Amino acid sequence: MSAWRAATCAALAAALLGAGSAGADRDERPPAASMPEMDYAPPPAGSYALNVIQPAPDGGVIDERGRPRRLAEYTRGRVTLLSLVYTYCTERTGCVLAYETGMELKKRILADPKLRGRVQFVSLSFDPINDSPETMRLYGGESARAGGPLPWHFLTTGSVKALKPILDGFDQEIEVELDDQGRPTRTISHILKLFLIDRQGRVREIYSTAFLQPEAMLNDIRTLVMEEDAARH
Amino acid sequence: MGIQLKHRKAILIVALVAPLYAGAALADETCNSPYTARLIKGQEDYVHVWTLGVEGLGDGSDKLVTIGANPKARDYGKVVNTLSVGGRGEAHHMGFTDDRKYLWAGGLDDSKIYVFDVGTDPSKPKLVKTIADLPKRTGFVGPHTFYAIPGRMLVQALSNTKDHGGATGIAVYNNKGGFVAKYDMPTGEVGGVKGDGYGYDLAINPRKNVLLTSSFTGWNNYMMDMGKMVKDEEAMKRFGTTMAVWDFKAMKPKQVLNVPGSPLEIRWSLNPKDNWAVTATALTSKIWLIKPDGKGGWQAKDVATIGDPAKIPLPVDISISANGKGLWVNTFMDGMTRYFDLSNPEAPKEVYTKHTGKQVNMISQSWDGKRVYITSSLLANWDKKGEDNEQFLALFHWNGKELKEQWRVDFAKEKLGRAHHMKFSAKPAARKAAAEPARVAAAR
Repeated sequence: MSAWRAATCAALAAALLGAGSAGADRDERPPAASMPEMDYAPPPAGSYALNVIQPAPDGGVIDERGRPRRLAEYTRGRVTLLSLVYTYCTERTGCVLAYETGMELKKRILADPKLRGRVQFVSLSFDPINDSPETMRLYGGESARAGGPLPWHFLTTGSVKALKPILDGFDQEIEVELDDQGRPTRTISHILKLFLIDRQGRVREIYSTAFLQPEAMLNDIRTLVMEEDAARH
Repeated sequence: MGIQLKHRKAILIVALVAPLYAGAALADETCNSPYTARLIKGQEDYVHVWTLGVEGLGDGSDKLVTIGANPKARDYGKVVNTLSVGGRGEAHHMGFTDDRKYLWAGGLDDSKIYVFDVGTDPSKPKLVKTIADLPKRTGFVGPHTFYAIPGRMLVQALSNTKDHGGATGIAVYNNKGGFVAKYDMPTGEVGGVKGDGYGYDLAINPRKNVLLTSSFTGWNNYMMDMGKMVKDEEAMKRFGTTMAVWDFKAMKPKQVLNVPGSPLEIRWSLNPKDNWAVTATALTSKIWLIKPDGKGGWQAKDVATIGDPAKIPLPVDISISANGKGLWVNTFMDGMTRYFDLSNPEAPKEVYTKHTGKQVNMISQSWDGKRVYITSSLLANWDKKGEDNEQFLALFHWNGKELKEQWRVDFAKEKLGRAHHMKFSAKPAARKAAAEPARVAAAR
């Protein structure tokens, strides 16, 4: 690792872990982002249908321990909420909001016996160069180690080549912004999107910032679980 | 249609020290979906005009015309690109995908949907996909409004394959152009009012989870010669008289509102404190306010008159200011552009009027409200005849008191066709990065 990259990672870790305590869990940080305002009662779970929007793409990924995996291993068998993130994102309406939404949903899912063991979260990095498995593990903190009734997988990829078909499959675009002189700035733009995927690996809902309403998202998750239960009987 | 990952490695290397910016989910030039990213709050670089081909004029084909809009550029007010789609299908409206990279454009006659890439190089849009399965998949024809939601496009149709009347619905496609679902417009009684099944525009208020729809007329009417149609009493009965309030999450109609006279474009106030929308009725020349009724439902109120309804000025497009305090209205028949003070949405007041053309249709304003663009064509068979059939895109500056024309592109003289819907684009720095990888690498 170059000195430059080492410095970057150190700064990154400091930014992510607050006071620079490398052992601190992200879970303990205070919420940094506010949920979008929601001035309605969402329709009850199971009272509506979620359309099949598109298949969730597959591709080679790397788990928190550095082991090569297939993304499909993490988008099948349970209802999956997948977000595409950078660990050093500081945008309050971006990845930070995605993480906070995940934490809020996690609490609600664990409190509902009908959802325990039926749901998983996946945070997949956009940046295979910076976001190493170790970085993703640090980023995930306690959530990355927890497993149990609500596993939360923090994945990365081994290369841009491996990442591309996944981003293509999700229709997720990322771009670097330049300044007036045409020099790259410290800003990458993307549209925050979270994907709700059923146990067959089909995308059933897509959330952008204005849609990150935990109560409505929880009902969507319940709707898919109820759909599974109905199909079994 | 997929992401552009050319030179991605170089870009990602740059990204190592870059914090992330996620596109804010607000509306842009005041009329787009609230889920459309990359707002143009400054100066737009281009205006794209979805243009109806005219037989014997140029190549006669429907086309996307791109015109320079930045006063600092050499192409200011000039046609910089035309992209013909090969044929005439009654080009009408357009809408950006949620990432604003693609522009979907529809034909009301042939029901085709063209997907243009305007993100890679907005000065040279490329046709990347043609979706031709709307009638087969849905039984709907006449794709009118294209409204982005995350990863998908809502397509409001105007008519149907069975009788080409006004009964129609909403189709949903994913961003790759794959069909997802269809929803019929309500025809039964919903909330005490019977739906007419007609459709025109749609608009969402995410905070309230409300999708509003309006109603126009079917293929039989919008493809008929206007002079003939207005003399046909039966045809004139076949216009929409309702709006529908939908539970957007569930995509279920919750309420039908009586709004006689064919309510067309719907504009929610963009002020976060507001919970109301406005529309204009084409045949009765009224502004209607849609707002909560205080009992958990919604109500529609006739709040203003546009011109002299007895003369049927035909309000055809509206454009709301970013702060929700003003509303532009174009009336087609008299060629007038009108500004209403919306400070009190219960009582809009017409405070400015200017004759901007012999026939005027669409009107689009910049986010700051300083620039107002106007086009001329309503429908191929409804446009005026002879010398009154002006076809143009015109730019006006608005100083709060007066519209001052800056330039006008004559679409007949340029052999382009009938100028209809407009969308703006800009050259974001990010896209420069994608287009100029060597420069990015050098800057590293």
